[in-house]
Amino acid sequence: MAFHHKILGIVTLLYLCLFLLHIIYFAVRKEKIISFTWIVLYGTLGLHTAGLILRWAESYHHGIGHAPLSNFYESLVFYSWCISLILIVMKKRVNYPVITIFGVLISLFLMGYASISPSVDRNIQPLVPALQSNWLHIHVITCFLAYASFVISFVCGLLYMITWKGIIPPRETLDEVNYRSVIVGFPLLSAGIFTGAVWAHYAWGSYWSWDPKETWSLITWIVYAVFLHARLVRGWKGKKIAVLSIIGFASVIFTYFGVNFILSGLHSYAT
Amino acid sequence: MLSCIALGSILGTVIKQGAGPEEYLSLYSENTYRVIILLGLNDVYHSLWFLALLLLFAVNLTFCTLRRFIRILKGDQKAALPEETAMMAMALNFRTNKPIDDTRISSILKGYRIISSGIEGSVFQKGALSQYGVLLIHTSIMLILIGGFVGLIAGFKGFLILHKGDTKNTITIGGERPHEKQLGFSLKCKEFQVSFYPNGAPKDYVTTVEVIEGGKAILEKQIRVNAPLIYKGIHIYQASYGSTPSFSFTIGDEHITLKEKEPYRKDNIVLMPIRFEQNIHNFGPGVMVAYLDQGEPRTVWFLKNIERFNEKNILGKPVRFLDVQENLYTGLSVSKDPGIWIVWAGFAFILIGLYINFFLYYRRIYIRNSTGGHLIAGFAGKNKDAFQQEFENLRRKFNGISS
Repeated sequence: MAFHHKILGIVTLLYLCLFLLHIIYFAVRKEKIISFTWIVLYGTLGLHTAGLILRWAESYHHGIGHAPLSNFYESLVFYSWCISLILIVMKKRVNYPVITIFGVLISLFLMGYASISPSVDRNIQPLVPALQSNWLHIHVITCFLAYASFVISFVCGLLYMITWKGIIPPRETLDEVNYRSVIVGFPLLSAGIFTGAVWAHYAWGSYWSWDPKETWSLITWIVYAVFLHARLVRGWKGKKIAVLSIIGFASVIFTYFGVNFILSGLHSYAT
Repeated sequence: MLSCIALGSILGTVIKQGAGPEEYLSLYSENTYRVIILLGLNDVYHSLWFLALLLLFAVNLTFCTLRRFIRILKGDQKAALPEETAMMAMALNFRTNKPIDDTRISSILKGYRIISSGIEGSVFQKGALSQYGVLLIHTSIMLILIGGFVGLIAGFKGFLILHKGDTKNTITIGGERPHEKQLGFSLKCKEFQVSFYPNGAPKDYVTTVEVIEGGKAILEKQIRVNAPLIYKGIHIYQASYGSTPSFSFTIGDEHITLKEKEPYRKDNIVLMPIRFEQNIHNFGPGVMVAYLDQGEPRTVWFLKNIERFNEKNILGKPVRFLDVQENLYTGLSVSKDPGIWIVWAGFAFILIGLYINFFLYYRRIYIRNSTGGHLIAGFAGKNKDAFQQEFENLRRKFNGISS
């Protein structure tokens, strides 16, 4: 087992600790625990970053140096990294334990799936020629940061459906955080699609080829565009917006996992 | 509207695109297949109804955008200072008890632009640009659609296969009616190399091509995946590679090499290799050869590694299959898309538009002079929480001076 795998293993355990810390908070309701949780989250993100960098360095050791953004395992690990980063960047807005608990839970799930599932190849693999491009970095980073923002929007949408006084923040707040995370995610998703298009132009010779992944990212983009129009033009609020954010996230999940496993195409890196 | 396009696109991913009729019939019943063909569901993104949907979307978008633009222009004229009662009714307002001079006001309202002022008071605004964000985004989407359309009309995409040493000046355009297209110049493959990683995955494929125009070699370049050659607006990409086998035989005392489907004619013998298999029933490589026996076509298999099967008598002459060589070829994708820069511009403008739409916001501050002080009110179109905080700060600053 390579060294970076150990580091990422510790990171996975830290996500578990973060999850348990939230549970403890809900049991005893001491605000100190929340501030401590945030400190642990900073530390986790730091170690997570270190793990990714080590994996990057190690790939050079194998003579196939490339950023850890190329296969399914790396995408899972990077996705959970992005979720933590977005939580920290949006700290002011998402500083509610019910929101952050879902963030760390999803990170925990992604890391756990990445390190335990037998169907995920954890080795560092060489890059096939099509991926040997600097567009890889910017394309993957923007896409996954967008996906991570949509996690927050999804969690808010979900929480909106539940009423649990005292634990769930007021509905107006959830609505606002939901909207905020979409306006972060939407430009990022747009940038992800555009960088992908420019890259496709240089690698495959056409910027848009209706590949299932491309089409589904467009569908996701349309869902969130509808979300924004419904809110800003039609003045939709509350439940309808919450439903849209859940539909949007379902589409994100399908773009990320579904396309790889169910539909075949140029983006089928998760095999 | 957008939802319809999304639904159409979903159909396109669920139903396999551009496959042959046999494939559809193996997946669906005959009646379903008729519906699929009728509605163009085998090629959703090029079907008439999908294009019509896009056109409708474009028209819709144009009108929405124009309407918005007119509204903004009208809004600009309404910069007059509201009446005192109207200002009092605004959610955010306060009074100062001492007059503040204009230079102090403008130093407190940093970043604000004065849009009207008079004896009664002044109107300040900030983030006026944000009103144009939506406009920019929508115009950019139109740009992308126009760029795509230009590419569709004036562009092309074709394919070209070159063995080492080959020179060609036409490409094959695929689609329903495949045809050849003249490039206006020739491409010569001087070298083609594939390299692999230790695990067998391809690492790099490189074609060294020479562009020949008017009988003269103009330039030589290596084409790699992700590094196309661009010549006269035509992009030439490394798309794929493959190999075609060629076979060496001895016929009598003569040594010959034939490609697949390349006929050999000499004396009374006419033969050609027609099929090659890498491994036949674990006996190794074999080639099927067709020959004419008194005008009748016959076939025979040669197996390279099996002594009894690598030599046959054809019309009295001993024919021996010696070896097979793989000839690598490079597959180049050739395309021209004059709309590309319009699309790129659209992308860039959308991102700028999204930024100014979501992260800048429009706000106005009204300052009305009243006896012994000012009545100050403000409003923001969006992001009201943040503006409320900003307004609180302004209140503190204004009052700090007056107290």
